[in-house]
Amino acid sequence: MVPLPYRPSIRAVKLMDNRGAKAISKKMLDGIFTVFAAVSVVFFSLRLAAGDPLEILLSQGLATRAQIEELRVALGLDRPLFSQYLDFLRSLLRGDLGKSLYTGRPVISLIKEQYPQTIELAFSALLFAIGLGLVLGVAGAILKQSHIGKIAEFIANVGISLPVSFTGILALFLWLQALHWATLEALLLSLKDLLLPALILGFASAGALAKVVQSGLAGSLREPYMLAARARGIRPRWRFIWHALRPSLPPVLSIAALEAAFLFSGTVITETVFARPGLGRMLVNAILQGDYAIVQGIVVLAAALYVFTQALSEILSIILDPRLARQQ
Amino acid sequence: MFTFPSIFRPLWKAGHRVPFSLALLVGLLLSACSSMEEPLSIVYGLTLAPSGIDPHINASAELGIPLSSVYDTLIYQNPDSGEFVPGLAEKWTISEDAKTYTFYLRQDVIFHDDTAFNAAAVKANIDYVINPDHLSQKARFMLGPLERIEVIDTFTVVFHLREPFAPLLDSLAQVYLGMASPSALEEWGPGDYQFHQVGTGPYRFVEYVVNDHITLEKNPDYAWGPEFFNNKEAQIAKVIFRFYEDSATRSVALESGEVDIIGELPPQDAQRLAALEDFDLYPIPIPGQPLQYFFNVEVEPTNDLQVRQALLQAVDRQFIVETVFGAFSPVAEGPLTNDHFEDIVLDPYTSYDPEIAGELLDEIGWVIDEDQGYRLRDGEILALHLIVPSWGSNPEVGQLISAAWENIGAQVTLEVAPGFGKLREAQGEGNYQAIGLNFFGTDADLLRSFYSTDGLFNWSGVQDSRVEQLLTQASQATLDPDRRVKLYQELTSLIHQEALLLPIRDYVNLVAARSSILGLRYSSQGWFPYLIDLQFAP
Repeated sequence: MVPLPYRPSIRAVKLMDNRGAKAISKKMLDGIFTVFAAVSVVFFSLRLAAGDPLEILLSQGLATRAQIEELRVALGLDRPLFSQYLDFLRSLLRGDLGKSLYTGRPVISLIKEQYPQTIELAFSALLFAIGLGLVLGVAGAILKQSHIGKIAEFIANVGISLPVSFTGILALFLWLQALHWATLEALLLSLKDLLLPALILGFASAGALAKVVQSGLAGSLREPYMLAARARGIRPRWRFIWHALRPSLPPVLSIAALEAAFLFSGTVITETVFARPGLGRMLVNAILQGDYAIVQGIVVLAAALYVFTQALSEILSIILDPRLARQQ
Repeated sequence: MFTFPSIFRPLWKAGHRVPFSLALLVGLLLSACSSMEEPLSIVYGLTLAPSGIDPHINASAELGIPLSSVYDTLIYQNPDSGEFVPGLAEKWTISEDAKTYTFYLRQDVIFHDDTAFNAAAVKANIDYVINPDHLSQKARFMLGPLERIEVIDTFTVVFHLREPFAPLLDSLAQVYLGMASPSALEEWGPGDYQFHQVGTGPYRFVEYVVNDHITLEKNPDYAWGPEFFNNKEAQIAKVIFRFYEDSATRSVALESGEVDIIGELPPQDAQRLAALEDFDLYPIPIPGQPLQYFFNVEVEPTNDLQVRQALLQAVDRQFIVETVFGAFSPVAEGPLTNDHFEDIVLDPYTSYDPEIAGELLDEIGWVIDEDQGYRLRDGEILALHLIVPSWGSNPEVGQLISAAWENIGAQVTLEVAPGFGKLREAQGEGNYQAIGLNFFGTDADLLRSFYSTDGLFNWSGVQDSRVEQLLTQASQATLDPDRRVKLYQELTSLIHQEALLLPIRDYVNLVAARSSILGLRYSSQGWFPYLIDLQFAP
């Protein structure tokens, strides 16, 4: 082991300590406000845009107008929008997300049911995305002139540009072909449940990550401190990891945080193509049916996720590159 | 004692890693074999994950696919003859004024939880459905003007109606009014009951995992099926239902062996599968309304009968059906589908002739303006706004209709409404010459909400006292099927004469199944299979 030039993590933690409590409480307040704003926007825009849920609920052609109005009163949907909003906020503060209009079940338990599947897929996809993104990005930056670098860049571009709806179906057809040829049917069959969707989903995210890694690395490799580090006799591998790669990671982290929040709040297309349960499908169905409570519940969760992952990425960024804290 | 075969010994001795991976491999192969050698269960692919599967409360057709085999209904409709036959009710009588239905129940029926089936159970079911707090989305309205249920004795129950309601028998033959165990209804209540359903049918409900699967198991005690079931008891021990919402992935699921039966295949995939030896294709006609577009008689220029007639003749329906739906769908000829309502829909619709269409428009002053390329009258362009729903291939069909109308000199704008809420909203604004919507159903009374003056879906804006009279008579004044057919015939010809409707095609559900599965047949509604009749080829 070569001794490190300094111990960045400890210094960063000290920096955080100095301004810590204040900064963190400010972040939390910001976060709560963000969630509140997102939920409020969704509350009103849903009611203005999604169409009348009762019309959709009873769209079987059997209910009469009078019966629909009766139901509207029973559900409190005839009251002024603002008082419905206040009610909604009040129950939200109690941690109550309301009940689904269609099944009468509490939204919390609906989310709890679907969430493990979403977490499983999101986590696997994210791991794969970060791994592949780093490999492609590094290869693209340091082997820029060679074929390998160009291929890496090409793969990243493909990841960014092809929609999951396409790559998913393509993968599914290839998988079916493989199934025709292969004898290990059980192995292949089990791939479809998690590995295949995770790879497809991760591939799309990896493209964006690779691009950020690559451009960050390309920049820091040209910095004068790389020359200085070389002059100090630091080994090439450490030079690369500590001096070039490390400072180029914060932007990667913030992209990764966005991807993570996106993945963890449900992925509609992948879930649909691979016939997996999950929050994404639940959300889209709820929007189409005007099941307000479910949409609001998932938006609360998603907004909280975005706030949380952003905060996490900022803290990690400061640990990786303490200069960021000084700038703030 | 078991000794390892000698050829494996070197591997066994080579260290722990090899046997481990070997064991894994063998395990996988074994599990592959075991999943293939489990002929007593099948997987049925559903195409939409319903937002709830309580048949008394939720409305989707999808829920009926599994649950039609979990519940029995008071009466059944024989899918071959269309007749209503005894189910859980041995017989029934209808009073002279058609307001009182008396059902005499079978005495040998028990629910899957061993609760006895009787008149009190029927009352508990209907009370559950009509309880306004339970927010029933379909079943409640299928009961029409039901006033109350009266239990006469243990096995006799009476339905009292406020006014006659001819579709009642049709309603009572559907899963939405299937008979559930009153003790289970009481124990779980709305919301949770859907996970703990208990009926009397040939299959019992085992498990529902939202968005993932529904599992049913054979009910060995079943002995009260209607006479038209081919089998006395279920032949397949277990049926699992999974959801495939993306239509492109359905044939993949079937070919990969993930599912054994799957519906709603895209026509191209259906055609391909039909040609393969391992699969059978079942095109199942779905009764109700065809894919259709209503002309708005309340706005210019479609308030003019001759304009509507011209627009009808301008559209080559045969071409549209072949282009969008392939060879499997019949061209629609009226406000109801041909297959199920063949007695009602008699005369074929207007045929395609763009020249006559042009002449009709010329006659009433809509003439081509060479500069603009459109038809004009008094300096106004023949402008049409067509609203179509985003589902059921409506956007593709809408494109072709727009092109056909452009072809005779109209200026067409096409609006695709995503979701029913948006469609309803766009309709509410009233700014359209034609709009698409269609429902499925086995009773012609379906037409009431579309053509009655205050009907919820009277999107044509029809206000015709004769239409009103026909609709009321057919649903209230008579229960005589022949008389009802006559009334609906007249209504259909009125709709034809007034050119209120552009019908495109009758819906056909393209189902494919592994050839080793026999006996696949469906109820009159078209969607619901009789799982009891399924069996494996010997």
